[in-house]
Amino acid sequence: MVTPDLTTSVAGIDFKNPILTASGTFGYGLEFTDFLDLNRLGGLVTKGLSAKPRKGNPPARVVETPAGMLNAIGLQNIGVPVFLEEKLPKLRAYDTKVIANVFGATEVAYVEACEMLGEAEGVAGIELNVSCPNTEEGGMIFGTDPAALGHVIRICREATKLPLIVKLSPNVTDIQLMARCARDAGADAISLVNTFVGMAIDVERRRPVLANVCGGLSGPAIRPLAVWMTWQVHQAVEIPIIGIGGIMNARDVVEFLLAGASAVQVGTASFVTPSASANIVTELEDWLSERKITSVRELIGGLELPPRG
Amino acid sequence: MILDKTVNVVANEALGNGNFLLTFAEETIAGEMLPGQFFMVGMPGSGILLRRPFSVCGLPGTFDDSPGDSLQVLYKVMGQGTQVLSGLGTGAALTVLGPLGNGFTVPGPEVTPVFVAGGIGSAPYPALTRACAAAGCPDPVMFYGARSAADLPLLDWFDDHCGELHTATEDGSAGEQGLVTGPLLRWLEGRDPTTYELIACGPDPMLHAIRNIAVPAGLRCQLSLEAHMACGFGVCIGCVVPTHGEDGAVDYTRICVDGPVLPAEKLAW
Repeated sequence: MVTPDLTTSVAGIDFKNPILTASGTFGYGLEFTDFLDLNRLGGLVTKGLSAKPRKGNPPARVVETPAGMLNAIGLQNIGVPVFLEEKLPKLRAYDTKVIANVFGATEVAYVEACEMLGEAEGVAGIELNVSCPNTEEGGMIFGTDPAALGHVIRICREATKLPLIVKLSPNVTDIQLMARCARDAGADAISLVNTFVGMAIDVERRRPVLANVCGGLSGPAIRPLAVWMTWQVHQAVEIPIIGIGGIMNARDVVEFLLAGASAVQVGTASFVTPSASANIVTELEDWLSERKITSVRELIGGLELPPRG
Repeated sequence: MILDKTVNVVANEALGNGNFLLTFAEETIAGEMLPGQFFMVGMPGSGILLRRPFSVCGLPGTFDDSPGDSLQVLYKVMGQGTQVLSGLGTGAALTVLGPLGNGFTVPGPEVTPVFVAGGIGSAPYPALTRACAAAGCPDPVMFYGARSAADLPLLDWFDDHCGELHTATEDGSAGEQGLVTGPLLRWLEGRDPTTYELIACGPDPMLHAIRNIAVPAGLRCQLSLEAHMACGFGVCIGCVVPTHGEDGAVDYTRICVDGPVLPAEKLAW
C-alpha cells in the first residue's frame, strides 16, 4: 500500500499534514505531551494571546449542551511576553508548525501583540482572533463589522511579516462579505469558524448557566453550519481556508476538505480525548489509503454537486 | 503521568436515592492515584460528549472486599451524564483519564483529621481515611450532613472506620435536624486547634460556611472543590474559582490542576 501524501500548504506555510489544533482547546501545546507526540501534528494554534496577560471571566464558564458545549472563558491567557519566554523555547523542540493566535481590546493592542511576536523563531504564522464572543474586548466587533475587520487586518498586516490567518466569526449575516474583506485587507488565509454565540438557562433557578450570560457554542453540533460556511467562503475567495467546527474524526476532516478547506483545526475533541488530534492524523492516513487516494490535496474543494433538474 | 484508559465496569451498585458506587479496575492508575485526586470518566457511544469529573472514593484496599487494582467512584444522579452512568451494567466500557489534580495533604501523626461531608461530598473520604490511618493519624472525626437519611451513602462504612461520626439532616430523618455546621461548631468549641485539621467536601454553600468558620479563627482547613469542566487537565480553563492572588487582586485558579483540594484561606469567594 502506498503511503498517502498528507502535506498541505496554507498562507505560505508548509504543513506535514492538514491537522492543526484549534486555539483555546490546546493550551500552549505543552500540556498535551503526556497524551500525544506533538511531532505528529501538522500544526498547533496557541490559546489566544494578548500583549498583556488576562484573567478572564468569572465562573461558571463551561456547560455541555446537545452534541456540544458553551464556553465563556474570556480569553484568560499568559500574555505574549510570557509565551515567548516560557513556552516558545520548549515548543521549538518539536517538528510542528506553531501558529500564535492573537487578539486585542483595541487596534493598538492587536498591533502591539503582533509586534511583540515579531519574527520570533519558531512562530510560523499569526492567527488573528477577531471573533471571540465572550468579552467586550475580544475582537468580536472587528469580526462582525466589515469596515472594522478590514482596518484591523491592514494595520496588523503592516505590523508583522509573518503569514496572517484571519479567524472569522460565524455570527454574521454574510460570511462571504467578511471573507472578501479579509482578503482585500491582506489576509493570507482564512480560518473558520470560531464559536457561535449561544445561551443555556438553568430553568429551576431562572438564571443563565454561564456567569457571562452567553457563551460560544462548539462541538459536533456546529459542524454542518461550519461546513456550509467553509463551502460558501471557498466560492467567494481564492485564498486558502482552514476549516474548524466540531471535527471528531477523519471523516469529519474530509468533509471540510471537500468543502474547500486546505487544512483543519481540531477543537473540542481535544477536551474529550486529549490525543484526538494525533489520532485523527493516523485515521486520515488510513482513510486515504483504503480509498487509494494518493494525496490529501486531491480532496480540497473536491465537492461534486448533483446536476439540478 | 496522566493516563487515558478504556476500562470496563466491574460493578455499579445502587445505594438508594440515586446514589451509586461504581467500581472499575485499572492497575497503573490505581498505583499512582492519591486520595482527593479525580478522574474524568467518559461514556463512549452514550451521546454524552464531555467526560465527567469524579473524585476517587476507593483505592486498592480501601474497601475490604475489593481486589488489588480496583478503583471506586461514589456518585449521585444529578444531570444527564450521571443519569447515563447510572444505567451502565457490568462490562460496559468507560474511558478514564487520571490521576488528575492535587489530592489532600494527609495531616501529621498527632493531628486528628476532621472530615466535613455534605451528601455526595463524602466521596473522597474512604480513600483518605485509609491514608490517614497509614500516616499514623488519630481516627478521623466525621461530620456528615445531607438533606435526608437517604443521602448519607456509605454511612455504615464511616461508622466502622471513624473515631466519631456526627450526622445531621435538614429533614431530621437521621441524626440531628439542621445543617452539619451545628454539631461541628459545638465540637470545635474550646478545642486546641493544633490538635486537628478540618477537611471539607460538599456543596458550595457548605464549603462557604466551613471557610467562614475556619479562616477567621485561623484553623487549618482544606476544601475539596468541584466545578463543571470540559477537559480536567488544565487547558479549557473552564473550572476556575476566584482566589487571592499574590498582588492582592483576585485570580482565577483552575480547580482541575491547582485543586481540587485548596487551602480555605486561598479562596476569594
